[in-house]
Amino acid sequence: MKTMDCKDVLANLSVYVDGEGSAELRHALEEHISRCRRCRVVFDSTEKMLKVVTDADAFNVPLSVSARLYTRLEKEWSETSS
Amino acid sequence: MAEYERAEPNAPAEDDFLLVERVLTGDRRAFEPLVRRHERRVFRVAVAILGNAEDAEEAMQDTFIRAFRHLDQFRNESRFSTWLTRIAVNQAIEKRNARKNYVPLAEAETESSISPRRFEPWRSNPEELYGKQEIHRLVEEAIQALPEIYREVFVLRDVEGLRADEAADVLGVGIPALKSRLLRARLLMREMLAEKLEQTPSLRTKVMHAAVDAGTAMAMKVMRAAGM
Repeated sequence: MKTMDCKDVLANLSVYVDGEGSAELRHALEEHISRCRRCRVVFDSTEKMLKVVTDADAFNVPLSVSARLYTRLEKEWSETSS
Repeated sequence: MAEYERAEPNAPAEDDFLLVERVLTGDRRAFEPLVRRHERRVFRVAVAILGNAEDAEEAMQDTFIRAFRHLDQFRNESRFSTWLTRIAVNQAIEKRNARKNYVPLAEAETESSISPRRFEPWRSNPEELYGKQEIHRLVEEAIQALPEIYREVFVLRDVEGLRADEAADVLGVGIPALKSRLLRARLLMREMLAEKLEQTPSLRTKVMHAAVDAGTAMAMKVMRAAGM
């Protein structure tokens, strides 16, 4: 595989962080980031960003929103059964 | 329905199929566990597309009503959660497009390449600086600040963990378009969170990095000139 420049490497960021791609491609990416500080920082911080996002996902449906959903479903069921 | 327990994101798909079968054979109460299990994702996706909780609540209600009425159209070829998410995305997009002031963002306007601008390494443990609540707030603000076509993709793939083919299917786009949007979404998220999560470099480190970058550029020029 020919040597990749920063643009080629950046285009394959998702391949790298998602653990996809051929062994040859991954090797070429690793070879580049081992000698290019900027790409190394971008790859490393993207992985950290994804971890922060996953760890921080405390998203919940508020109880009042949930309760109103069930009320609407009950209404639907009472209408469809009558 | 008295219990509002948290949804199980990794609930086995087989259970969903059995519950759907029960609803279809007349046991409508079997729909309740399906709602409990998936309401979180439906709401999350609706908020991502609509940008506010009020509209997302309406879209969520419409999604479950629609899913209930058309449950016989669900085919076991996909997971129930994917089928439901597709309905949620369609309901939310329909609602968004109906807004009087809605101006769709032409894809071409966002296609310019997003080049990274920040090159300081990040802290390994942001929890050392920020509390969990604070990090949650920073992440939510960054997600909401993404342009919508990136926000949808990012939430489906990186927050909700859909596979690329599932997210592409749900959004009605091809896999290459999905991947290109996801790359941009990730780069934008990285830029937006960088300010808070970068290590503060010392002056010495800054000078060293500038020297390395200049040296690399110089070395590349020399190599190019030498035909290497």
